[in-house]
Amino acid sequence: MGPNLLANYGEAVSAVLFCIGFTNLLLQNNLIKKIIGLNIMDSAIYLFLAEKGYIAGRVAPIVVDGVTSAESYINPIPSGLVLTGIVVSVSVTALMLSLTIRLYTRYHTLDLDEISTLLKKEGR
Amino acid sequence: MYLILLSVFFPILSGLFLLIRYRMPLAKEKKNTDRKTLLTLTGCFLVITVLLCAAARSTAGNSFTLFYLTKTLPICFKIDEVGVLFSLLSSVVLPCAGFFSFEYMKHEEREGRYYGYYMIMFGVLNGLCFAGNLITFYLFFELLTLSSMPLVLHNGSREAIMAGLKYLFYSLCGAYGALYGIYFVCQNSDTLAFTAGGILKTSSVSQHGEFLLFTAFVMILGFGVKAGMFPMHAWLPTAHPVAPAPASAVLSAVIVKAGVLAICRIVYYVFGTGFLNDTWVQTVWIILTLVTVFMGSMLAYREPVLKKRLAYSTVSQISYILFGLAVMDADSLTGSLLHVLAHGFIKATLFLCAGAIIYKTGKTRVDELRGIGKEMPLTMWCYTFVSLGLIGIPPTGGFISKWYLSVGSLKSGLPIFSVLGPVILLISALLTAGYLLPLTINGFFPGADYDYTKLQKQEPCKLMTVPILFMTVLSLLIGLFPDAVTDYLANIVSAVL
Amino acid sequence: MNFICNFPFFSILLSLFSGTVCSILPAKAAKAVNRIVILTTGILSAVLLVYLLDTGESFIYRMGHFPAPWGNEIRAGVLEAGMALFFCVIMYLSMAGGAHKLYGEVVESKHNLYYILVNLLLSSLLALIYTNDMFTAYVFVEINTISACGLIMIRQVGRTIEAAVRYMIMSLLGSGLLLFGLCIMYDLTGHLLMSNIKESVSLLVVTGEYQIPLIVSVALMCIGLCIKSALFPFHAWLPDAYGYSTVSSAAILSSLVSKGYIFLLIKMIYRVIGFDIFNSTRIIDMLFVFGLMGMIFGSLSAIKENDIRRMIAFSSVAQIGYIYMGFGIGTQTGMVASIFHILSHAATKSLLFIAAIGLTDVSGGSRRFVDLTGAAYRNKWAGVAFTVGSLSMVGVPLFSGFISKLLFAQAAVQVEGKMLASLIVLGISTVLNAIYFMKTVIRIYTSTQEDAYAGITFKSMKAYAVVLLFFILLNVILGVSSQPIVDMIEQGLVMFA
Repeated sequence: MGPNLLANYGEAVSAVLFCIGFTNLLLQNNLIKKIIGLNIMDSAIYLFLAEKGYIAGRVAPIVVDGVTSAESYINPIPSGLVLTGIVVSVSVTALMLSLTIRLYTRYHTLDLDEISTLLKKEGR
Repeated sequence: MYLILLSVFFPILSGLFLLIRYRMPLAKEKKNTDRKTLLTLTGCFLVITVLLCAAARSTAGNSFTLFYLTKTLPICFKIDEVGVLFSLLSSVVLPCAGFFSFEYMKHEEREGRYYGYYMIMFGVLNGLCFAGNLITFYLFFELLTLSSMPLVLHNGSREAIMAGLKYLFYSLCGAYGALYGIYFVCQNSDTLAFTAGGILKTSSVSQHGEFLLFTAFVMILGFGVKAGMFPMHAWLPTAHPVAPAPASAVLSAVIVKAGVLAICRIVYYVFGTGFLNDTWVQTVWIILTLVTVFMGSMLAYREPVLKKRLAYSTVSQISYILFGLAVMDADSLTGSLLHVLAHGFIKATLFLCAGAIIYKTGKTRVDELRGIGKEMPLTMWCYTFVSLGLIGIPPTGGFISKWYLSVGSLKSGLPIFSVLGPVILLISALLTAGYLLPLTINGFFPGADYDYTKLQKQEPCKLMTVPILFMTVLSLLIGLFPDAVTDYLANIVSAVL
Repeated sequence: MNFICNFPFFSILLSLFSGTVCSILPAKAAKAVNRIVILTTGILSAVLLVYLLDTGESFIYRMGHFPAPWGNEIRAGVLEAGMALFFCVIMYLSMAGGAHKLYGEVVESKHNLYYILVNLLLSSLLALIYTNDMFTAYVFVEINTISACGLIMIRQVGRTIEAAVRYMIMSLLGSGLLLFGLCIMYDLTGHLLMSNIKESVSLLVVTGEYQIPLIVSVALMCIGLCIKSALFPFHAWLPDAYGYSTVSSAAILSSLVSKGYIFLLIKMIYRVIGFDIFNSTRIIDMLFVFGLMGMIFGSLSAIKENDIRRMIAFSSVAQIGYIYMGFGIGTQTGMVASIFHILSHAATKSLLFIAAIGLTDVSGGSRRFVDLTGAAYRNKWAGVAFTVGSLSMVGVPLFSGFISKLLFAQAAVQVEGKMLASLIVLGISTVLNAIYFMKTVIRIYTSTQEDAYAGITFKSMKAYAVVLLFFILLNVILGVSSQPIVDMIEQGLVMFA
């Protein structure tokens, strides 16, 4: 167990980061902190992907000096996935932020539970 | 073959027509003419349905598959002897009570809704009687609950709605108990079609015997809810009295018999007596029925409100029938099926009498009804005659059926119950006399202090008395000429045992 | 390759681009475009379905003609095409049935935005149905989430925004888990295409390597999709989101969005992991237990609810529980039952939402039961439709709900260990369903003395009535002629693997 963890330290770190982000998104009351948690969670996954895609001693898969053998380049697919993922997470974050602004202008608080009690008082 | 379909779907469609046409309360200005057309229509529908039923019954042995619900589950109809017997009961009681309600419901709002559901219920009952397999039977059993519920909560008071809900939940719980049984039966038999002697595969009987016994028990309990069997009887004394009197007559005389028919089908046509005889299921079932018989009579004895008293009496009397089915002996089965008819006519008459009394005097408690026999002699004479029938005094129908029940029980040779059964039946008959006859005695002999000057003739109109009289005569005829019926029942008995 | 094989790709792209086009159109034109697109995709799927039924095998469509391990693929079989067709039908009916409410609840200038979101949702659902690539599935899961969130908050009141935030948070948790599980899976197998992953997974299982990461990855993906489809206990966001959004959104969300995720899960089970490998893990037991708990607790919460829309929403929790219970049974028949229930629940739940809005509209816009008394008389079509939906939910024969219960029970009976638990819970949940749905039906059919609210005439809501009629027909068709559909599902599952 121990040596494996040490050898794959990148993955271990990203798993820990994922958990931190996940718990933040789930348990924080403050909406902004929730969104930060979301971003930590997503970044952790990208870190994981990047770590898996990288092969020590190779370079980015861009042909510059005529070397065409696949042996000298890293796997490009995880990088592509990370890019796609970043696009998705940016749009989701933007949506969450806009919702947060809506709620804040209406209720002047970022605490979701407080908003719930306010809503119950409103009676609608 | 299309006669079956007609007898099932004509009343349903005509009921739907009434529901749609007379959905709103009749307008005040045109009330009389509107009401006249409504009643004429309903009357015609009832008569046509009765004729269709009679025609369908005459084609006994006919079967007809409507369509396939899934590959192995056809919706099919088949006319057999038991179905004919039950359909006979419903096609006598329903028109009688229907004509009775023409007068009784005069002052009610929303008559159209009442007659609409009444007709739908008639059609569903026919479907139930002529169902050819378990899944068709279940379909109509559910529909019966749904179509009879509006009759229970007809007057829309809070009490009626609560009673309707109680009726609905008890029935649904029961029906689902039965539905599980159907799943297992489906698994352990090649077909679901009712066959005398049972449909279980012999390999499954030897393999899952215990489990199938449990299934049978759950199904008996589940369908027993409709028949008001202990411990699921509580809905009956709540739901029956709150309905309008003709509706409660139908509920008590016919709808509870649907539960009896269901159990009869389960025991004799699905599991078979060979499988259930001398098992713990039979023992527990007999205990339950005897408890119900005794308890129902005791509760009726202590009940001051007339319609409630009659409802408790139904609880007890239906379990007479179930006891006969549970004993699984030729004579007791004959007695049971005979009692189905006898009790149907008698209980319908009793409820209609109670309805006539309420309609004329507005009194519901037994102790308020002193001298009623002087005011409504014809009604009370009918009441007295059928009461004697229910108690079991010869030469009435009730006597013959109880005779067969007791003889069958004694002959069956079951330990304890062969003797205990008749004893409890006797005690219960005494109690029956105790709760039915006081009304007659106080009604005809109000005592010395009764003020005869206040007395006025209150006999209801012919629309009410004729149905009562007709059914009284029928119940007496069963007692005078039982052979006609028992000969017919002998066919059924020899087929299933 | 036949030209028809392009149809899945066409329908995804068509709805995606029409969404973009809608943003520059005025509201009326956007509405027309939206309807036409849904209809066209429906027709394309129908043609595809006929073609696939004819050829009898699924096909793989390569995007941009890149060969297997690198290119992106679409795969279509009978199940996919049928599901796409069904989703289009439900979506069209929901949009048409809720169109009149949109004017009251959404600002006029934002109507075209609404249609963008609906088109996006349709395209993402179609993509989830057709795609053969895990990462594409993830991307469209997110698009689905975003557009669903938009559908909830397009009605700008405090409740909906809060509900949208809660929905987003739960969905993001779910998609985070899904993505992480997916990355681990990619790490283990080196593939993103479903069929390639399956080969590697079966190889891993044979060699016994990397067992724990494999299970972890499968579990993460499963939990992610469970959260997104609101399986108990992850359902906290659901009642507000379905209860307060505009009615078309509620109908679409409850019947389609959660079903899209469930369909993806089915795909994963068959295409990515393999049915047998998935069944040998403990994950299905987990799904089974949570499904059962959802069935009971969802219904219990629905009983306590005093608001008709929220009650229907809670009932969704129970119904999703049914579907997961079917997965948890772990046999092919259980899977068929679940897929049939997806159809049956989608048809019924959208009907209930659309009918409920008709009832609340004639009760002064209030959703409390007290105000709904007699609503069915004021809006007859909605009353009938709501009754049909309720009967179907309760599981009365002849409606779709009965068939799915029958299928579940038949599936459960075949598995020794899970039989008793599933049957008992199925029974309890059915009775609970009956309690709250029949209570509501009786309530809306209880006549009130004073006419507090005005009724509504047929002329003013022709379109609405026609939509309800179609929904009722759909329910009855699913309930009466279920066999061809079940056959199709079975054929589809064979093609699926």
